[in-house]
Amino acid sequence: MWNSNLNLQNLINRRTFLGNTSLGLGSAALLSLLNSENSLGSSEEREGIHLKGLPHFEPKAKRVIFLCMAGGPSHLETFDYKPTLEKMDGKLMPDSFTNGQPIAQLQGKELKCLGPQYKFNKHGESGQMIADILPHTAKIADDICIIRSLNTDQINHDPAHTVMNTGTSISGRPSMGSWVNYGLGSESQDLPGFVVMTSVGGRNPQPIASRQWGSAFLPSRFQGVELHTTGEPVHYVKNPNGISKHQQSELINSVNQLNAIRNQSVQNPEIETRIAQYELAFKMQSSIPDLVDLSDEPKHVLDLYGVKGNDGSYAFNCLLARRMAERGVRFIHLYHRGWDHHGDLTRHMKTCCNLCDGPTAALVQDLKQRDMLKDTLIVWGGEFGRTPMFQGKGKLPGRDHHIRGFSMWMAGGGVKGGTSYGATDELGYNAVENPVHIRDLHATMLHLMGIHHERFSTKYQGLDMRLTGVEESRVLKEILI
Amino acid sequence: MKARMMKSLKNSFLCKGLMLCLAWGMLFPGLLFSAEKKIRFNRDVRPILSDKCFYCHGPDSNKREADFRLDVEAEAKKKLSEGFALVPGHPEKSQLFERISSHDEDEIMPPADSGKKLSSKEIETLKKWIEQGAVYEPHWCFIPPSEPKIPQVKNQGWVKNKIDNFILEKIEGSPFTVSPRADKATLLRRLSFDLTGLPPTEKEREEFLKDNSPHAYEKVVDRLLASPHYGERLAIYWLDLVRYADTVGYHGDQDHSITPYRDYVIKSFNENMPFDQFTREQLAGDLFKNATEEQKIASGYNRVLQTSHEGGVQEKEYLAKYSADRVRNISTVWMGATMGCAECHDHKYDPYTSKDFYSMASFFADVDDNRTFKGGNSLPTKREPEILVFSLFEKKELTNQLQKLKSEIQKIEKPESKLTKEEKEKKLNQLNAEVEKIKKKKIRCMVTESIKPRDIRILARGDWMDETGKIVVPAGPDFLKRVSTGSARATRLDLANSLVSTEHPQTARVFMNRMWYLFFGEGISRNLLDMGSQGEWPTHLELLDFLSVRFIENGWNIKKMAKMIVMSNTYQQSSLQTDQHQEIDPLNKLISHQNRFRISAEMIRDNALAVSGLLNRKMGGPSAHPYQPAGYYAHLNFPKRVYHSDKNSNQYRRGVYIHWQRQFLHPMLRAFDAPSREECTGQRAISNTPLAALTLLNDPTFLEAEKVFAMKVIKEGGESVESRIRWMWIRALSRQPNAQELKVLTQLYQNSVKEYLSKPENAEKLTKIGMFPVPEKSDLVQLASWMTVARAIFNLNEMVTRN
Repeated sequence: MWNSNLNLQNLINRRTFLGNTSLGLGSAALLSLLNSENSLGSSEEREGIHLKGLPHFEPKAKRVIFLCMAGGPSHLETFDYKPTLEKMDGKLMPDSFTNGQPIAQLQGKELKCLGPQYKFNKHGESGQMIADILPHTAKIADDICIIRSLNTDQINHDPAHTVMNTGTSISGRPSMGSWVNYGLGSESQDLPGFVVMTSVGGRNPQPIASRQWGSAFLPSRFQGVELHTTGEPVHYVKNPNGISKHQQSELINSVNQLNAIRNQSVQNPEIETRIAQYELAFKMQSSIPDLVDLSDEPKHVLDLYGVKGNDGSYAFNCLLARRMAERGVRFIHLYHRGWDHHGDLTRHMKTCCNLCDGPTAALVQDLKQRDMLKDTLIVWGGEFGRTPMFQGKGKLPGRDHHIRGFSMWMAGGGVKGGTSYGATDELGYNAVENPVHIRDLHATMLHLMGIHHERFSTKYQGLDMRLTGVEESRVLKEILI
Repeated sequence: MKARMMKSLKNSFLCKGLMLCLAWGMLFPGLLFSAEKKIRFNRDVRPILSDKCFYCHGPDSNKREADFRLDVEAEAKKKLSEGFALVPGHPEKSQLFERISSHDEDEIMPPADSGKKLSSKEIETLKKWIEQGAVYEPHWCFIPPSEPKIPQVKNQGWVKNKIDNFILEKIEGSPFTVSPRADKATLLRRLSFDLTGLPPTEKEREEFLKDNSPHAYEKVVDRLLASPHYGERLAIYWLDLVRYADTVGYHGDQDHSITPYRDYVIKSFNENMPFDQFTREQLAGDLFKNATEEQKIASGYNRVLQTSHEGGVQEKEYLAKYSADRVRNISTVWMGATMGCAECHDHKYDPYTSKDFYSMASFFADVDDNRTFKGGNSLPTKREPEILVFSLFEKKELTNQLQKLKSEIQKIEKPESKLTKEEKEKKLNQLNAEVEKIKKKKIRCMVTESIKPRDIRILARGDWMDETGKIVVPAGPDFLKRVSTGSARATRLDLANSLVSTEHPQTARVFMNRMWYLFFGEGISRNLLDMGSQGEWPTHLELLDFLSVRFIENGWNIKKMAKMIVMSNTYQQSSLQTDQHQEIDPLNKLISHQNRFRISAEMIRDNALAVSGLLNRKMGGPSAHPYQPAGYYAHLNFPKRVYHSDKNSNQYRRGVYIHWQRQFLHPMLRAFDAPSREECTGQRAISNTPLAALTLLNDPTFLEAEKVFAMKVIKEGGESVESRIRWMWIRALSRQPNAQELKVLTQLYQNSVKEYLSKPENAEKLTKIGMFPVPEKSDLVQLASWMTVARAIFNLNEMVTRN
């Protein structure tokens, strides 16, 4: 019944929440309203903020922070140590690996092996192998679970991101952040439940499309809201020039009064919703500036992340991610664009790692200190990995896109720290031990949030649509606490 | 506490509802189940089988369990190893009934682990169906519509045209009556938004209210259907369907050149091009003998999909993506079918096979896509083949000018010309410069060019690297009427002809269903994208068939059908909902009143601009660039993007002309649910969010409109505060304010004056927003205060609602 306009249940919910007094809603009512507000056609029945029947079981994680290293960081220079590849450096890549495989920019070129460009060492009590270029991540080795056997379907950036976010490369499907918010609702009263931030600094050539946080056929209130670090943090959140806070408040009051007067004669539930949304909008005009105002953060915290000010850097965004986690934002998605290293790999790796390594580790440590890591799931990784083969764009060697095997890590929120899972072959090409498809990653993330991926669907075009789609997918039980 | 309150409320609603329903359920079986009714396969049984059984016992041969299928009658009734699944008349002998009513976990269907479960009501329906003979019907949308019997009704006086018979018949069988006609001002506003996407002007309102002739309403309808803005309004919807956008969509999301296609769509709707021709030209305009420039532009339809020239794209992979994209779009737009599912496997609910999918794709195997990959990172990028044309709305004028210039040049060049050599040269230079200037107004447009068709194979699981599949030739789905071309390879034109043949079961129904949606906010079948097994049973199937048959008979005449719909009394009903409506028929499946809904993003913009007087009514041509938050395109690259908002009157053009950046759609459009147009959108969501509130409150486009509206009211709205508020209110909302409303705005105005008198610098800041100049020596305190009143009005629910 996706396309039915005003669902009876919604209608009843809303009328009850609002009662007859439309003005001056309490925060509980507002919160319910934000989560139950009707959008065309959804057949969502909600209990409190959750979709009815959710969560399916006790969740381990209340929220997700997804650290997306856009461009596709090399697994061979970070988490996947391949001594055989080192020995094969400069030699021809055996055909048995590459015959009939999709290839991006190396199409038609001679394929030669490129050995790892950094030394690897064991770290933490767990002794996880991590490349020397990530000294800070090395310090949280015992908190993270490294998955070395990821694989995906798409070899170009844009479709690969689409797979990472929606489970398929076919456009028009909801992103995982939207799915999670659709299922579980937002715990924040005055912030969106799904926030996306893209950092600046270093080189950032990777385009990122807003479809990556789109809600597609889910109600649009579940789409990701982009928080900007330059200009207005959220579009149109600032009062117009020449309008004081007091005046804006008076204006919104007048609008709401007029709407309420009108509603006496037309009794339109949509008006009641609009009244509440204007109140919420006004609240957001303060809550969002408060969120990005770091003046209440002590110096040692700023130093831990390496935050130098409101500069839109990855470090700044990591600190904001923690602040949002504290405020009940359900899904926080950070992008750092700069990991597409077709050439000059070591030079660019240095830039990216300098910007990202420290703040990432700081975020994990900070959450841990606040006892929030246990219910915050952190996921780190790119849309794909990089070829074991050499690519010669630039002065120094580089690597092409690679989808048959790459690494990511997860931490907190019910994931076993200090472990690793899966493996690629001796050259780091194919995931051979416990291969993990993006769908499996999604199934696992949902599982940690208390959602059974096969039972979490919505009707669209007559089909039961799921984040994990129609293909088999499995929860990585082995990595769970 | 809240939850408990909710429950008891729900119960009381349901109880009341239930009692009423029992009384009239028999008379109105489509709405609620009644134990006594005659079961109809399509209405009652198919939805259950489709949703709960077809996944394993349906069209998809790969997923079929126990080699048993329920979607084909002969298969469902054949002898199985142990007895029969269906024994007509005897549920007790039918294995199907035994299995669905079983309490044994190993026996029960659907199996426990499928996540599907039949309700007791559904089991009862299936039982009754078997008792009554287990009669099958072909899916309603797979058989051509036939002229239905016009229903008899008691209240003949209410019937304006035959549409009303179909609606009234069901209402007369329910506890409801039809709603009274909406008041004239509301009707005018409704018609104006529905037919042109713009509000009525004050003059139009006054004229209509004064006109007491019996044809007053029809006159308005005819005026609006003849308005050039009618085409723009319909285009907003059509462009959603065909996923029109100004950028390539993938990776760098560069601009591509396609705006003449938008002109074509608008012009075609305005000229009332028959829908069959409209279809042929878009799918195959390039294949027409002596194709005109416009027909070539129309074929741009095949090119508006998302494309990529990202470094490292594998051409074969993207050709497969484009193929699939086209099949998805064509099957959704013309057939209301979800053929996209059959890219990887036979459809699970409808009889589309993978072979059908790739046979459909091979109609487009001749579209020259190869040059797409050679596009560069320029703005716009090149997506050859392209042609160079004038905007269709300027073509006549500019061609005339060129003609004139050319004959002048010829005259001068004639030997009998009396000019000196120097004079001649000077004059020629000047004329040639003018010619060049006009020629520069030509715009590039992607078109379809037919090349030798490439081989299209069935790709197992959609895998483009698998080259073992059978090569297929162009053909429509096997179960529909075949495209017949003898031994010749069928073309896109053959496909178009078959889609608009009088026997095609889907095309007319799909389009009529969507037209109904444009005038009611809901389709007759409420799933606008899928009219297959998993779609929704139409609330008024016979009406849909009636409209479809008429549409075809009338030569696919869109305006005629639009007029028929808006002339009906059904359309003219009030949109007010009573408690009874909300309790028993909250979805208004009876259509016992009109629906009220928020207008679309484009209309919200157009409305504000039109009310303020800022709207630029220029038609067609390149896209417009309204104000947009700085840095919004920061994440775009190849090349880096800087957005330049228009510094001239293009700033005030209609929403349909806004530059459509697929990856970063204008935030105002996004906030009000406009789609990114990556895929076909048949029905936009209507959300109501704080972000939308912030947009309407603070987006400079609206603030500027409010400023201009305030400047106008100071000039034309009389002297008193009250007369000014009335002047504004009536122009924005098409009605007079009441005393309470006047009071709220008077208070707001007075407080604003106080505030700005004490801080005049703020009045200056506010009135500087937007490039529209404020005359020197204006009283900025007054202007800022009236602007504040305008802000209040422009943010009202009523302002953005079509009642």
